[in-house]
Amino acid sequence: MRLPLLALLAKEPAHGYELKSLLEQTFGQAYPSPNIGQIYVTLQRLERDGLVKSQDVIQTTRPNKRVYELTPAGREALAAWIEEPSEGPRVRDDFFVKLALSPLAGVTDQMALINRQRRHYLNLMRGLSKLASATDRDSRISLLLIEGAMLHLQADLDWLERCQEELM
Amino acid sequence: MIARAVPQPAPSADEMLLKIVGLSKVYKGGGPPVHAVRGVSLSLEPGQFVAVMGPSGSGKSSLLHMLGGLEPPTTGQIWFDGARVDGLSQARWAMLRRRNIGFVFQFFNLVSNMTVADNVELPALMSGATRRQAKERRIELLAELGLSDKASASPARLSGGEQQRVALARALANRPSLLLADEPTGNLDSLNSADVLRVLCRVHGQGQTIILVTHDARAASMADRVVNLFDGMIIDDMDVVTPIRPSVAAAGVLRLGE
Amino acid sequence: MRAALRWIRSDLRARPFQVAVEMLVVGGVLTALLLSVTVLEGATNPWAGLFAQSRGAQIWMRLAPGTKVSGLRQIGGVTAIAGPYSTTAATIVQGPLQSAVELRAMTPAMPQIGRLLVRQGSWLAPSAPGGVVLEASFAQAIHCRVGSELVINGIDGPTAKVRVIGIAATSDQGFYPDQTPGLAWVQLPLLRRIEPIARHTEEVVGIRIANSADTSFVAQQAVAELTGAVRSVSTWTQVEQSMARGDPLLGLLLALFGLVALGGAVLVIASATGGRVLVQLEELATLKTLGFTPGQITAMVVAEHAGVGLAGASLGVVATRYLTVPLLHGIPASIVPAVVPLPATWIVLMACSAEFLVVLAAAFPGWRAGRVSAVVAVRRPLPAGHLSQLARVVMLSRFPPAIVLGARAAFIRRLPAALTIGGLAMSMAVITIGLGVASTVDDVQRHPANIGLAAALTVSPGELSQAQAGAIVSGDRQVLSAYPSVQVNALLATGTTTITTLGLGTSARPYPFHVAQGSLYHAPGQAVASQGLLDLLHLKVGELVPMQINGVPVIFRIVGRIVEPEYSGQVLAYGLDTLSQAGVVSPPVYYSLVLRPGVTVSAARRHLLAVSGGRLDVTEVNDPASQLGIIRPMLAGLIAVLALVGLVSVLTASSVGIRDQLRDVGALRAIGLTPRQVMVSMVSSTTALAVIAIATGATAGFMVSTRLINLGAQVYGIGSGIGRPPSAPAMAAAILIAAAGATLTAILPARRVVATPVATMLGP
Repeated sequence: MRLPLLALLAKEPAHGYELKSLLEQTFGQAYPSPNIGQIYVTLQRLERDGLVKSQDVIQTTRPNKRVYELTPAGREALAAWIEEPSEGPRVRDDFFVKLALSPLAGVTDQMALINRQRRHYLNLMRGLSKLASATDRDSRISLLLIEGAMLHLQADLDWLERCQEELM
Repeated sequence: MIARAVPQPAPSADEMLLKIVGLSKVYKGGGPPVHAVRGVSLSLEPGQFVAVMGPSGSGKSSLLHMLGGLEPPTTGQIWFDGARVDGLSQARWAMLRRRNIGFVFQFFNLVSNMTVADNVELPALMSGATRRQAKERRIELLAELGLSDKASASPARLSGGEQQRVALARALANRPSLLLADEPTGNLDSLNSADVLRVLCRVHGQGQTIILVTHDARAASMADRVVNLFDGMIIDDMDVVTPIRPSVAAAGVLRLGE
Repeated sequence: MRAALRWIRSDLRARPFQVAVEMLVVGGVLTALLLSVTVLEGATNPWAGLFAQSRGAQIWMRLAPGTKVSGLRQIGGVTAIAGPYSTTAATIVQGPLQSAVELRAMTPAMPQIGRLLVRQGSWLAPSAPGGVVLEASFAQAIHCRVGSELVINGIDGPTAKVRVIGIAATSDQGFYPDQTPGLAWVQLPLLRRIEPIARHTEEVVGIRIANSADTSFVAQQAVAELTGAVRSVSTWTQVEQSMARGDPLLGLLLALFGLVALGGAVLVIASATGGRVLVQLEELATLKTLGFTPGQITAMVVAEHAGVGLAGASLGVVATRYLTVPLLHGIPASIVPAVVPLPATWIVLMACSAEFLVVLAAAFPGWRAGRVSAVVAVRRPLPAGHLSQLARVVMLSRFPPAIVLGARAAFIRRLPAALTIGGLAMSMAVITIGLGVASTVDDVQRHPANIGLAAALTVSPGELSQAQAGAIVSGDRQVLSAYPSVQVNALLATGTTTITTLGLGTSARPYPFHVAQGSLYHAPGQAVASQGLLDLLHLKVGELVPMQINGVPVIFRIVGRIVEPEYSGQVLAYGLDTLSQAGVVSPPVYYSLVLRPGVTVSAARRHLLAVSGGRLDVTEVNDPASQLGIIRPMLAGLIAVLALVGLVSVLTASSVGIRDQLRDVGALRAIGLTPRQVMVSMVSSTTALAVIAIATGATAGFMVSTRLINLGAQVYGIGSGIGRPPSAPAMAAAILIAAAGATLTAILPARRVVATPVATMLGP
């Protein structure tokens, strides 16, 4: 959460609510946005680390709002993050541990285990499909996110198939 | 643990569109016999959309071919619309396909020498429609699939996705009671796949019964029901349900940041 | 039905070139057959056509002038009488040439029975009292056309200048010069002018009877009815046989080529259909998934090719209709006396047979198409290829790899490879046989004695005495030997048949006939006969035949059978001494001359005319070998058809091959074969098949050619031994042209493939 906020602030100074709606606009429904409390907590931590600074803007009709902007240290941290290669997402090793250890745990029906997992994945996939068809065609980032999730799911399913072929 | 070929009473003329009982297929000739399908039983209600999944060689395609009468089962029964059809001659099967079963394939299989319009009109003409009826149906279908401007094109000039949509139009020309699709997205990129799947979903929404053989989980997830084949047998038969909050799904799969 | 039609239409559109060639093959073969039958029918049996068209009479009698013929109508079976017409003998004079002619007086009103079939110009007309109409074969022989001016000399002296106003065919008598004198129709006043003395004329009457089988019986009754007045009788069987030539080589060749062309067409259609089915397996399977039944698919494939066949057959019929006259008009009447377009029923029947064969040829591939498994719709792999022996040999001999690849690809699909080789080899074999026939014809024309034509010239004394003439011809250095000869008609003992007999040479020095069976005449009373005469009289060699010559009874023993292409093959020959012994007053003698080797006929003729001061009558013997000239254009036509057959085979082979090779070619290009190498590979795959086929066909053709011709000659009575092998240069040219043609044909589709982007070939 820290770095996305830094990235959003790199363009122009903004206050907490602006940042929340910017995040929602970018990732769409596919990714649940953090609540405003989380955003403020994160901003305070960033300020404590000297990556952003803030200043109150006085408003007449409403309560004052606090506008955050990037410090040079923040800009550096952002640049460093962007340049550093990212780790890929890891496989769901939770299921694999279950599958691997099930004979020890006295669960012999690995096929049932696999089937259960597959059903789960397929239902997830259906959810993603629904989401994709409900998403506005112009929200490219959002659609790409869904696509990515789907491809990961397909990979998970293929891996399940491999497990099934090897273990059955 | 594995669904065996349980002997079942012969299906009565109930509400099932398709009912298969203990269907097997053994390929012989040269080398040891290959058991492609081993005692598969399955019922299909009208309007259902069933996806058949499974690794390569699990017998998906053989099953589909038998359901469409492209090859005869070695043993077992096929009931279509209350009538037993597994023993039909090639010619009777052809007539059944002509009116009641539409096929879509991975490689589209359009008649290359015919225009898109001719390809789509072919089934209607075959089942005795007049030239005008066939033409009207073709115009309607192509419009629905967004291909109206391609009517006089040769199939070779179309993209894969367009070809597959033409193939779909052709399969649907006679309003078949059953649509059989064999890996229809297997040869398409994701955008074109999405197009084709959208069409499938739409015709399903209009009440079309579909059996879809696929590797593509995305395609399978469109179905109401997914049947998993493994080594010629059904190992799972599930109803697909939409999660209550689909938006959680993406986050569940793909975590952004740490 | 509609769906099938739509599919057929689009399939035809997708390959216009192949369809056109297929159509041309069917049309070409049918045209060739129809023209051949027209020629054969016109050459061998023109009488039936002429008889039907002219509503002719079956019996013709020559009567003393003024005979009453009304009694003839009372004879049972007689339906009508033609004539009587006054006739008289006369001579047509054209410069130094004189031709005997029979003038027959008729009226401008065309009779109902024994009509004349006016071929050119018009019939006699009151407005042209001096006009004559000539019989067609006679007109041709004496080089007369409509509009020619002629001088006719009467026997007793009067002379008339006349104009030819028409040329007509008749079924009344055989063709000139087999039947002499020639026939000319005039109006009565002109006849009277030329022959004023009534008793020097005769009357001719024709009797049409209901049933031709009764001819002999009716003729006897008619002779009895007109006792004493009958000078001679001829019947339709004689006319028919005299017109019927049974030109042996022609008939043999036409039959042979007809069969082969048909076989070729069947093979072409089968191979084209088979190849097409192979190329279309997936689509046919797809059609099955759409709900076409196996029967429908078979019907569709057969119907498509039947449609092409029908179009081809129609093309053939139309072509025949428009080509019969221009193509066959140039054939001398001596070969084909009556080019009568075939009756419509024949044409329809032959077109139907051709169509039936097309359907038959398409049936098997069509049946296979119906049996294609619908599962093929999911792509079927190519049959596993293994290196053929040939390819291995090619490889060992370090040929460029592109050629090896191509040669290997050619044999992956065995059946199409076999069909291609079969089609091409058969065409090549027949072309080789055709070349053999051509060289045989050459040989016969160069050495006519081989088929029994020893004499090249006949000489009659003309204005000289017989002794003077004999002295001139025997003394001429260009003449090897001269045989005194007579030609005289004989009335058979039955009294109803007149035949031509020849006294040629003497028993001591007989004319050098080519004897096919038995021996030559070596004693008075012995005679040799030709096959036609033996057939006419139901005689065998060794039997006796009694007849009357100039009223004197003579009995001949037939000691041998000769080969005699003249006199329509109905002739009896004997030594002149037979006549003198029997006490027959010798008719005028002429000389048959055998020339020294190397002397040309025209040179000898000119020399004789010069030596005699133009007073001798020198005539060239009608040389049937020259008639064989017609065979050359026919050979050319048939070779063209066969070349089409070969072309289709090659096209089919390359289209099937390309379909099979497409992926390979893409892969090969992807790994770095140049387009040129790819092209070489593709072309060599077709060329490999073609070379095998051409070699096989040429060898087979060469081996059977001579034997086949000899066999035919034997069957037709000419005698074995005339067959010659094809000439070496012609063979070499044919082989080279065929190989080059096959390669060129294969290049076209290969170029298209090479021009295709690699990426599209690697797709599904």
